[in-house]
Amino acid sequence: MSVIVFGLVHLVPGDPIRLALGTRFDQETYDALRARAGLDQPLVEQFFGWAGRALAGDLGVSFRTGETVTSLIAERLPATLTLAFASILVALLIAVPLGTISALRPRSVVDRVATVLSQIGISVPEFWMAIVLILVFAGTLGWLPSGGYVPLTEDPGGWAQRLLMPAVVTGVVSGSVITRFVRSSVLEALGADHVRTAQAKGLATRQVFTWHVLRNALLPLVTVTGVQLAYLLSGVVVVEIVFAWPGLGQLALQAVQSRDYPVLQGAILLFAVVFLLINLAVDLLYTAIDPRIRR
Amino acid sequence: MTGAPLPEPAASPTATEAGVPSTARPPRPRWRQTLGLLARNPTAAVAATVLLLIVLMAVLDEAIAPTGPNEIAVEDRLQPPSLAHPFGTDDLGRDILSRVVLGAAVSLRVGFLAVAFALVVGTVIGLLAGFYGRWVDDVLMRVMDMLFAFPAVLLAIAVLAVRGPGSGNTALAIGIVYVPVFARVTRASVLGVREEVYVRASRSVGASDWRLLTRHVLPNAAPPIIVQTSISLAFAVLAEAALSFLGLGTQPPNPSWGLMLAEGRGFIDLAWWLAFFPGMAIFLTVLCFNLLGDGLRDVLDPRQRTLMAGSGR
Repeated sequence: MSVIVFGLVHLVPGDPIRLALGTRFDQETYDALRARAGLDQPLVEQFFGWAGRALAGDLGVSFRTGETVTSLIAERLPATLTLAFASILVALLIAVPLGTISALRPRSVVDRVATVLSQIGISVPEFWMAIVLILVFAGTLGWLPSGGYVPLTEDPGGWAQRLLMPAVVTGVVSGSVITRFVRSSVLEALGADHVRTAQAKGLATRQVFTWHVLRNALLPLVTVTGVQLAYLLSGVVVVEIVFAWPGLGQLALQAVQSRDYPVLQGAILLFAVVFLLINLAVDLLYTAIDPRIRR
Repeated sequence: MTGAPLPEPAASPTATEAGVPSTARPPRPRWRQTLGLLARNPTAAVAATVLLLIVLMAVLDEAIAPTGPNEIAVEDRLQPPSLAHPFGTDDLGRDILSRVVLGAAVSLRVGFLAVAFALVVGTVIGLLAGFYGRWVDDVLMRVMDMLFAFPAVLLAIAVLAVRGPGSGNTALAIGIVYVPVFARVTRASVLGVREEVYVRASRSVGASDWRLLTRHVLPNAAPPIIVQTSISLAFAVLAEAALSFLGLGTQPPNPSWGLMLAEGRGFIDLAWWLAFFPGMAIFLTVLCFNLLGDGLRDVLDPRQRTLMAGSGR
């Protein structure tokens, strides 16, 4: 994975040092900076050098701003984490009730409405929804600020206000995806043999429901939520841009545009690690929920 | 020996005797049956019709747009929707309706190209992996997994950074992102079909791999791939809009729905129609592709199909 990251990043044409120097270009500075960044060494050496340092926690220094990659990422991490978790919360709050009710009463009005809504939620372009929401709530009604990020510790009210719209936008989209999964997995769990057995045994419906149905339906839900979370954490660039939300997605975009290799490599490495961690967490949750898997 | 009577052929198959359906009338071709079933699902039918209209609009583009998309008329700038300009005008006085119509051509073209690329490459990979198994499968799917693990947006951006911005490269970027999806879907389908009786039977009479793949495996593994195509088209259009929005896709002055959104964003409090209509267009197109995909999935799933076909007749 890291080899691919490195390879892909260096394939990108464009010389970062030249870009960074811009109009103040002069050959001596260029050579010196290039040597310092190690760009004059053969690629293979560069890769091992980077990988070695990365393992020790040193991700290098940004070509564009000169700050360390680690500090740049650390700066942006809270914003991205906040948005990601808020979005998942919104998504689950929408998806679980909606999906479950849909499955309990298939083909009813609720089910049809939920299906249509989830279809709409998946299809709507996030940046368009964001713009429309800003227009309505920030522009016309003036209820909410149109963007920016304020840390929770500084100003809880402002933090919440600014978080609301972006979280709703990404939450609705993720929620729509998850709703369909909840619906199908609950439906499947409801029709399972052991559920009918339990009902035949005379167990109260409520008990049947919580113990048998929900538990089994939980597995696909956990997987899907994990996937969505991984996606959200890798930075929803477009939403970040519309809401001026200083997250990792914007950082990665800037890095690509300015050929800022260290930042780009660091960011992608981070995403890969996050992906792995989430998979791990999902697996662990699986064993906790379904004892059969432990064997 | 023309005189001797030929032995009677085995009793001609009739419904009652051999348990084989009567061959008196050829069965309706499968794809016609599919279309018929699809037509009965109202949402899918509406979606398909709207899509056809959009495609038609995109194909006819120049012919039906009231004015040229790049006709600047500065005295008319930022007009709200009116009879002369049903969608209003933008900051350079260009008619937004025309630009939306022409944007359709661009967005759809990129979408179709991207999916075509992903379809061809992904299906071939999936076929090979599923059919041959073992190390071929391992290697191919390992590569697919690595590609898949890359955040999609970043991968597309990276490809565009390598190749430069523009519609064609956007199609390539989105296509590359979707190859693993098609590969996986194809592979799963092929794995199911590979063990079917008719495949084994053909193989036992010595059919070549090529023949097996083209005549038996692919046609029967096709349904999930078709569903995936429709859904991927939805997201390809969405992705093209997003990339253009970021400034990486279609470049000005060419109209592209995403680009129009980006341009309109700056005028949002002055002139909401700049951003609203292109966004609406994206939304509608994507929605229809998704609905169509859902309808296709219901129709092509063998169990659902017998239910639907049985009840209608």
